[in-house]
Amino acid sequence: MPYQLAWFIWTLPVFAFLAITLVLRPFFNHRPHWSAYATITAIGAAFVLSIWALITVLQSPDHLLAVPRIEWAVIDGFTIHLGLLVDSLTAIMLVVVTGVSLLVQIYSQGYMHGDPGYPRYFAWMALFTANMLGLVMADSLLFMYVFWEGVGLCSYLLIGFWFHKKSAADAAKKAFLVTRLGDFGFLAGILTLYFSQNTFDIEALRTAAAAGAIAGTTLTLAAIGIFAGAAGKSAQFPLHTWLPDAMEGPTPVSSLIHAATMVAAGVFLVARMFPVFAYSETALNVVAGIGAFTAIFAASMGLVANDIKRVMAYSTISQLGYMMLALGAGGLAAYASGGSLPIEEAISLGVAVGMFHLFNHAFFKCLLFLGCGSVNHATGTFDMRYMGGLRKYMPFTTLTFVIASLSLAGIWPLSGFWSKDEILVTSWNYIPVWFYVALVTVFMTAFYCFRAVFLTFSGEYRGGEPGAHVAAHSTPGHEQSHMPHESPRVMLVPMGVLAVLSIVSGWINLSGGFSSFLGHSAESEGGWLQTLFGVFTHPLPFISLATAAAGIFLAFAMYNRKWVSATAVGRAFSPIYKVLYNKYWMDELYQGILVKSFLLNGLFRGAQEMDADVVDGVANGIGNTVVGFGKGMRRMETGQLQGYAVAIAVGLVAIMLGLYFWT
Amino acid sequence: MNLWLLAPELSLFFTAVVVLLLGLASSRRGIVIGVSLLGVLVSFVFAAFLWSGTPQATFNGMLSVDQFAVFFKFIVLAALVLVILASADYDYKVEQVRAEYFTLILISAVGLMLLSSARELITIYVSLEMSSISLYVLAGFLRDRRSSEAGLKYLLLGSVASATLLYGMSFVYGLTGKTELGQIASAIQSLSLSGLLDNPALLLGLVLVAGGFGFKISSFPFQMWVPDVYEGAPTPITGYLSVASKAAGFAAVMRIFYDAFGAPSWLGQNWGLLFAGLSIATMTVGNIVATAQANIKRMMAYSSIAQAGYIMVGLAAVSMGQSVAPAARSALAFFLASYTLTNMGAFVAIIAFSNKTNSDLIVDYSGMGRRAPLLALGLTLCLVSLLGLPPTAGLIAKVYIFNAAVQQGLLWLVIVAVLNTVVSAYYYLRVVKLMWLGNPVSEEPVPSSAALRTALFLACAGILLLGIVPDLLVRLSETAGHSLL
Amino acid sequence: MLTQFGQIALFILVIVLFISALPIAAFIFRLIGLAPHKPTQVKTSTYESGMETVGKSWIQFNVRYYTYALIFVALDVTAILLYTWAVDLKSLGAAGLGVALVFIAILAVGYLYTWKKKFLEWK
Repeated sequence: MPYQLAWFIWTLPVFAFLAITLVLRPFFNHRPHWSAYATITAIGAAFVLSIWALITVLQSPDHLLAVPRIEWAVIDGFTIHLGLLVDSLTAIMLVVVTGVSLLVQIYSQGYMHGDPGYPRYFAWMALFTANMLGLVMADSLLFMYVFWEGVGLCSYLLIGFWFHKKSAADAAKKAFLVTRLGDFGFLAGILTLYFSQNTFDIEALRTAAAAGAIAGTTLTLAAIGIFAGAAGKSAQFPLHTWLPDAMEGPTPVSSLIHAATMVAAGVFLVARMFPVFAYSETALNVVAGIGAFTAIFAASMGLVANDIKRVMAYSTISQLGYMMLALGAGGLAAYASGGSLPIEEAISLGVAVGMFHLFNHAFFKCLLFLGCGSVNHATGTFDMRYMGGLRKYMPFTTLTFVIASLSLAGIWPLSGFWSKDEILVTSWNYIPVWFYVALVTVFMTAFYCFRAVFLTFSGEYRGGEPGAHVAAHSTPGHEQSHMPHESPRVMLVPMGVLAVLSIVSGWINLSGGFSSFLGHSAESEGGWLQTLFGVFTHPLPFISLATAAAGIFLAFAMYNRKWVSATAVGRAFSPIYKVLYNKYWMDELYQGILVKSFLLNGLFRGAQEMDADVVDGVANGIGNTVVGFGKGMRRMETGQLQGYAVAIAVGLVAIMLGLYFWT
Repeated sequence: MNLWLLAPELSLFFTAVVVLLLGLASSRRGIVIGVSLLGVLVSFVFAAFLWSGTPQATFNGMLSVDQFAVFFKFIVLAALVLVILASADYDYKVEQVRAEYFTLILISAVGLMLLSSARELITIYVSLEMSSISLYVLAGFLRDRRSSEAGLKYLLLGSVASATLLYGMSFVYGLTGKTELGQIASAIQSLSLSGLLDNPALLLGLVLVAGGFGFKISSFPFQMWVPDVYEGAPTPITGYLSVASKAAGFAAVMRIFYDAFGAPSWLGQNWGLLFAGLSIATMTVGNIVATAQANIKRMMAYSSIAQAGYIMVGLAAVSMGQSVAPAARSALAFFLASYTLTNMGAFVAIIAFSNKTNSDLIVDYSGMGRRAPLLALGLTLCLVSLLGLPPTAGLIAKVYIFNAAVQQGLLWLVIVAVLNTVVSAYYYLRVVKLMWLGNPVSEEPVPSSAALRTALFLACAGILLLGIVPDLLVRLSETAGHSLL
Repeated sequence: MLTQFGQIALFILVIVLFISALPIAAFIFRLIGLAPHKPTQVKTSTYESGMETVGKSWIQFNVRYYTYALIFVALDVTAILLYTWAVDLKSLGAAGLGVALVFIAILAVGYLYTWKKKFLEWK
């Protein structure tokens, strides 16, 4: 692939955005579909280019597509350059991002049909995708940070897409502010690295970290700073609170955020800068610890949520925790093995395992959200208490949703099984304590996701009339039935594609192809068919499968057969239930203590008073004096002029005296 | 003596004469403006030819035609185009004497272009006066109370500054017996002084010359005329004063101080320190007082004082040694070019607004985003560029000049300048906020003429172009910075 | 250097003393009765070359005085410059002649301008 084309991967969606905002929306607002076509065409083209880039990277011996830098400004030795770094990590991300985004855009045509903000939606989606693509391709931290903030901005715009709804506007604000907290850490990390190495270049920084040029506290601080940024974007504890609320945006947006764009950015960032982490054991422990804790913590909240999208949101947080755990555990392998495993290999191990889960997760989680959207499209609600029995009305949605759930639960031989298994193996080998946490999470994951499946699709339909939401989105002239109905084909096709991917995407690493592409050569025992069945020679898969099956069975028992009453269980464990249901009171904690007491009443008021009394006082005082002086003097023109002349004379004398004494 | 080297100035002067004579026959707007613009174009073409030539001195060393001078000629010509376009819509106020108005603008531009080339004290003085006297008249051109006040003040204080400058020059001449800058430098070196206080005449000459030019570039404490004159003068002239005459003033200061007082090194250090100190005072006074202004022209006046402070950071950096001076000079040139576009653009937008509202009060800009979206967008872009945010030329200019200063070890000065930039955000963004978020005073749209729109578009396109692809101009300013004779 | 400044300071001191000495002396003479103090109408009026003063001194002159004066000065200075040029015409040669012609042409434009604008007429 000619390297110039690489630039188009992220600029094409930008052009789509510009075309929609500058041309289509002002002049062709009566043809909203053109906007969708513009975005889909641009992202489709970017997808083709991404595949091409992936093939090129695969074929090149050092897994790198060399893109010469563009010198943006050379100012006397201080060069600001723009450049792209397309290595195996980027190539994989490009395909995932463009692929998932493309499917989501196609699906959105159906979901957003008839919305008054239709062109605006596609404009922002294009910009959102462009920023994410830029983020994964950027070759310097500074450049990356621009896109990083761009992703944050677009997520703000999209989560608050229905901004006239207060909850949506609030959620958007929350997402923006909470991730911003992490961004401060990221910025601090970037600056730490810059002052240490005098460069923003990612490749140079990775080399410097590997060569030991950055070490000790500096390295740890930089790594933790970067991780803070990643934790904000990837919704890791304690910055996770924005993600469940972000469900207020249109469902395809959630799907994109959760699968490929925003939350993946955090994991990608850690993977991208992993050499910086790998040489600091403290940083690795932080990453693995927070990842594992987030995994179980979020999963526990998912157990009791009633909103189907929230269940999925907690699931995402939890799965992102897995990815962080994978990265951390992989890196820690070098320390746990007592030196038998060199750090370079630990790096590639961590990145390979973490990215593999990111890769698989993108497909099945996207599918789950599209399924939620489809269900919502039919019933007008996200509350599972008003669903049930949808199997009859929406067979295709049910099928794809079950496939995705099985994959998420980690059932052989679906994709989720393979990557989750690798994470479990890695943590079992190197940090067993987190293994047990991860195992409990497997159980919870299987339980909550099949709880959602049974509540939604089995039993009898409990909903009433389709809500106003459906009316707003249904096709004009569409038959309004009292019963839910299957979604239009434009929504089902992307789901079908994703369902296939959710099954097979895990198989690409059967012979270690994915890992070795990321630089990790796994010991492979023969061909992929052997591996497909050969996993069961090891006891670990049995344990994880049994755990997952137990979770599914419990859900089946409670929500399908009702052998155990869910309410009774809730009553029996009522304190725990309450804690989980209220999300550990984290929101109240932030809102009440941090925002209200500390920020609003303390810091902000102080700042305001400071501003009003001191700053304004000084500024206005000086200004008013001068203005008053000027106004008074203007009436006596000669006097004023003399004053100016005197000022000149006095100034000259003062300067002379100053030089006299200074020199 | 090669007259071709003076072709830009001569052709522009010839245009001025033609415009004046045309004015006797007919003062139709289209003819006057068309001929003026044509003259500017011709002058520009001549200047472009000079750009590719080798730097050389002419008229027995009185003028030097190097890329540095030509760069500033470009700046003056660019400002000239914008001011002519901006006046096209404004000149209903000067109907009867339209030709004179444009003639004076052209003549003052000739003076400024000569000033950027002059490297001999008398020539410097004569070119300075050539532009100043025209500008005195222009400032009072409206002949209402405000404008007359502005003109008179500018004239009287300008004369004081002229006298100061001449007084300083006479000391320098008395000390060295030379008027040509290069010869002055060697004469000073042959005196083999060890410090500024060894010879009070040098101290007096240095400070008085700095004071005389301090008036021109509106440095503290010679800046007091600026708000009154800017407020009263016709708005296009205000814009012109704030950019072209400042740019050429800086070019002349650069040349005098670097060429004549550049060596020995302690002398350079001394005036570097002088400008560093003045720079801090200038930008601080400008920014703080600007925050309290209610009239946008006064606000822009203080803003331009503050900007002069930033430019003087570059001047201080030039002084700190021969090896790094070219970089600082390039930064200075780039900053002035970007500042010219930006400030002229802002004034063009202000003219368009006040043509409709007849008011220069900032509160009357409330809700302009709805009444005149394009004008408001243009003004926003200019203000953002003055503040120095991406993606505008202002950011690159600030980075460029601050970077040069840091390389010279003037980190402390840059810190003060950055803090000042933060203060300036208050008043620039206040206008932006008011325009987009304020409630409109009336719903009536604000019309603007094609000439004004063209001028604003040119300025904004330049700002964005330099902000996104700064390399275009960075290369030119580097050539200019390294070419100084 | 200090002695040089000292001399100047001495001069300034003498000047100040001398200037203040006169009014002080006049005042003292008044006090001791040496100078009689008998003001009359004629004595306190402004002395204007023996002529009687008419009206106030704060009157507006016709602006044409100034335009006349300006034009006069410009032409006067030109004439003086042309004297020096004429004296040296031989050594300046054809180039000198050309320059002078250009110079006169520019002045002619100014003259034409004032003429056309009727600044030369006294109305």
